Amino acid sequence: MPDLKQLRSGRSRFDTLLLGAMIALVLLGALCIMSAVNSLSFSNPVVRTHFVALPVGLVAFFVGWSFNYQVFDDQWKGLYGFILLLLVGVLLFGSYQRGSRSWFVLPFFSMQPSEICRVCTILVAAAFLDRRGPQIREVSSLFFLGLLLIPIFGLIMMQPDFSSVVVTFPALLILLYCTGVNVFYLALIILFAAVAGFFTISWTYIYLHPELLDYEFFRIFHDLAHNGWYMVGFSVLVTFLGYGMWWLCQQFRIFLPSVYFVLATLVVLAGLFGGIFVEHQMKPHQRKRVETYLAPKSDPRGAGYNVLQAQIAMGAGGVFGTGLFSGTQSRLGFVPERHTDFILAVVGEELGLWGTLCVLGLYLIILWRIISIAYMSGDRYGYLVCSGIFGMFFTYMLINFGMLIGIVPVAGIPLPFISYGGSNLVASLWALGVVQSVYARRLRA
Amino acid sequence: MMTLAMIAGSVIALRLVDIQVLRHNSYLQMAERNRTQIIYQTAPRGRVFTADGVAVASNAPSFSLYYLGGNQDTEYLARLAHDFAPLLPLSEDELLSKLQTGSSSGKATLLAENLSTKSTVALQELQLYYPSMYLIEETKRNYPYGSFASHLLGYLGSMDERQWRKRDVKLGYRLNSKIGKNGIEKKFEEDLKGQDGGVYLEVDYRGRVKSIIEDKKWAAGSDVYLTLNFALQQAAEEGLKNSKTGRGAAVALDPRTGAVLAMASAPAYDPNMFVAFSDEAVEAPLKKIDEYNLAIQGVYPPASTFKVITGAAALESGLIDVNRKIYCSGKYDSGPRIFKCWGIHGPMDFFEGMSHSCDVYFYVVASQIGAAAIERVQRMFMFGRPTGIDLPGEKAGNLYGPTRRARNKTYWFIGDTLNLSIGQGELLVTPIKLAQFAAAIASRGNVYRPYYVEKIVSNQTEKEKRIGFPEVLQRANLHPQTYDTLFKALKHTVDTGTAARVRIPGLDVYGKTGTAQNPHGADHGWFMAFAGRKGEPPSIALAVFVEFGEGGSSAAGPIARQMLEAYFKQEEKPALTVEPAEDYEELLLTEGEENA
Repeated sequence: MPDLKQLRSGRSRFDTLLLGAMIALVLLGALCIMSAVNSLSFSNPVVRTHFVALPVGLVAFFVGWSFNYQVFDDQWKGLYGFILLLLVGVLLFGSYQRGSRSWFVLPFFSMQPSEICRVCTILVAAAFLDRRGPQIREVSSLFFLGLLLIPIFGLIMMQPDFSSVVVTFPALLILLYCTGVNVFYLALIILFAAVAGFFTISWTYIYLHPELLDYEFFRIFHDLAHNGWYMVGFSVLVTFLGYGMWWLCQQFRIFLPSVYFVLATLVVLAGLFGGIFVEHQMKPHQRKRVETYLAPKSDPRGAGYNVLQAQIAMGAGGVFGTGLFSGTQSRLGFVPERHTDFILAVVGEELGLWGTLCVLGLYLIILWRIISIAYMSGDRYGYLVCSGIFGMFFTYMLINFGMLIGIVPVAGIPLPFISYGGSNLVASLWALGVVQSVYARRLRA
Repeated sequence: MMTLAMIAGSVIALRLVDIQVLRHNSYLQMAERNRTQIIYQTAPRGRVFTADGVAVASNAPSFSLYYLGGNQDTEYLARLAHDFAPLLPLSEDELLSKLQTGSSSGKATLLAENLSTKSTVALQELQLYYPSMYLIEETKRNYPYGSFASHLLGYLGSMDERQWRKRDVKLGYRLNSKIGKNGIEKKFEEDLKGQDGGVYLEVDYRGRVKSIIEDKKWAAGSDVYLTLNFALQQAAEEGLKNSKTGRGAAVALDPRTGAVLAMASAPAYDPNMFVAFSDEAVEAPLKKIDEYNLAIQGVYPPASTFKVITGAAALESGLIDVNRKIYCSGKYDSGPRIFKCWGIHGPMDFFEGMSHSCDVYFYVVASQIGAAAIERVQRMFMFGRPTGIDLPGEKAGNLYGPTRRARNKTYWFIGDTLNLSIGQGELLVTPIKLAQFAAAIASRGNVYRPYYVEKIVSNQTEKEKRIGFPEVLQRANLHPQTYDTLFKALKHTVDTGTAARVRIPGLDVYGKTGTAQNPHGADHGWFMAFAGRKGEPPSIALAVFVEFGEGGSSAAGPIARQMLEAYFKQEEKPALTVEPAEDYEELLLTEGEENA
């Protein structure tokens, strides 16, 4: 326990606040998991597994802290190979559960390699960017990083494990932003995702509400996905729009590089065709999932039922909550996945508003500490690693809270430190260990 | 980047406050609704008593057996089925399969309902050994005397969609609650209905029972006290049932207050048959029943009973001498047409004319006094207007006279006067109207509004709510001498004339028969009477009507006699528990003096 004087002098080797927030979250999580499965005894498999994962996670934390993080920078190729090995291994030897092949089942325990890979991917991406040297901010690094990560994402999608992608992709974007890559290119990536997403969601909505096709506008919009001539027409329209924008900017004496307009046009078109591709691939149950996002209360027994029940649980908790082990919504099983993805609903019902605000506050403290450590770090690699890990936790927090309060679709993302899930807990604690390692070595590096 | 995180954090925090603080109550309700399941117990409806304290609508206990055991092994279920099956209307196999469904679903399962009281004692004992079985006590409406006053009591039925929208959960109704569909059951629905109880179960997300939260006892509804006299009503109903055609009505009023002592209408129905639990069982009889309440909805010419009005008009006019004899040769020549009498009576004075119901006597009298005088007395007794009893669908009948005819812009002929004088023609009355008229004569001019509900007594607070009061609608201000003469003539009719069937020793009975000519079939029989113990003022007035009964004396007379006997046989405990109206006491006093 470093004393406060040392902390203030900036020589401490341990960020106490970060550690404290982490321990508080883990303890709170353990309590809530026991309450969620309504069992205090270790004979319950969930409780037992969690209390086995906890010391393993602490060991991972200390390993992350005591190892010099620069070793990942030096050995990034080995780490990259390790990731690929794990992902290929799980495809070959993993067990098939709930529609995806993402678990190693060993005699005494099971593990989910994609959780470890998530952190490793960030370490590798940071190392790759660091090695770009002075060209780090150029578009080429974006391009080559994309090439480097395509195999990893491809292997993850083969399991398939959507939640991994959903968390890692925004985390990498945040990492790139912190690297200082031209915001325009990041914006293009987001634009691409937005255009593709817009078309996919709109077409799905029309597909689920065929009565809209009576309107001419919606019919033409719908045919865009199936009629080649419409696609060509739309492409020409977008091209002209791009050109018109450039011409307008010229008239107003705003001189932007013309490559911006060309790229924007291309990205919009790519988004369109990406959307068309997804539209042709989508299965009805996947469309239903999008529908749930659009109108979660229209089908109370369907997927929207889960979110509604979780919100009922939180709302029933009120300010002070019903007390641990006595929330009816969670105890009687109305909240689905209550010890994993929806554990916040249990917190909300049993500990009330104070509980949820506590979790939110602790998360913000952790994020704040990670960002501060990033600025303190002794080298660029440390900064990049912290940015990536910040991005990861930020994404976790945003999606998990957002899912419960109904602004993000149900994505099946756990809340690290609180949710049940051994692999996730170990990987998250390890990531914080790495951050502590950056902090500890800020003066030496 | 941290700024972004802080913004996201505050948005999340605001939404959390929104969900957990601002919408706390509605979510809490939803959570409660999620976890509770209620097995309702229908509360007993308030009872209905006659004035002499007989419960004519009460409740019978009804038991339902539920299985709340959750998952159990087959051996246990087989033992349950073996032990319980002999006490239930189910075979052992049927019971076992029901138990297995309940066990595998884990939900509260209804095994049998409507169980007999006999088996429940044994079931209650068995329940002690098997806590997974739950016996629920409910109540079921019961009318112990079958069709007794069925037209007044009404019956119960399921709610239709519109009624359900009006009476929702807030008023304590459930979709399968039964409500009063007619009569008292409908009119006093709010009072009669109690607060349903229920067993509140805590269930999990699949509806499996986890525990019993609360066993809430029901609260019974308020009791309604009628003014009916039980023996009298029963006598009236039996008389009508055994009459020549089995169709008719009998109404008895207390001439001192207007309270309905009996109101019978035949054919009647047994409201018990609508109490059945399933709707299919009710549907068939519902189509068949006769909701038509002849006592207030049937309109017929009053026939010879109307001669009381003609006589009253004649006495009032002062144009006739009651002792002057008029010769009845069996017919009366009005000029354009010859009117016949029903017999050849020879010389008749007023009393003989009344007692033998001689048509010729009244033809002569009517042509002397004129139709307008008769119409005026009709209006005094409020003919052509409903009696104002608080029952839906009462018919007004029809007033008949030259003024009414003038309104229709047609002519009045001498033949009309003669028809009117013997109560034929366009004149129409309901049985209750005639009873009200009889009561008005008996009380020397008080036309009371009939009432049949005396009070409502809450079973919870013991509070009484008065419903019915004596209410004089109008005074028929004839001369006291007119009433004296009418009393004398009507007594003469009972003692020596057509109404001799109701002559009962020890009683002063006044009566008049009537036979309404019916061009479409057999004539209808009327009987109007009022009576009191010797030397006392009349305490009952009644009107009996037998449809197609042919003779007033032969068909309706015996019924009236039975009623009077039934009424006066009991220690006279008059329905007069209500304080009489102030002006009424004065009236009695002044009249008493005048009589003396």
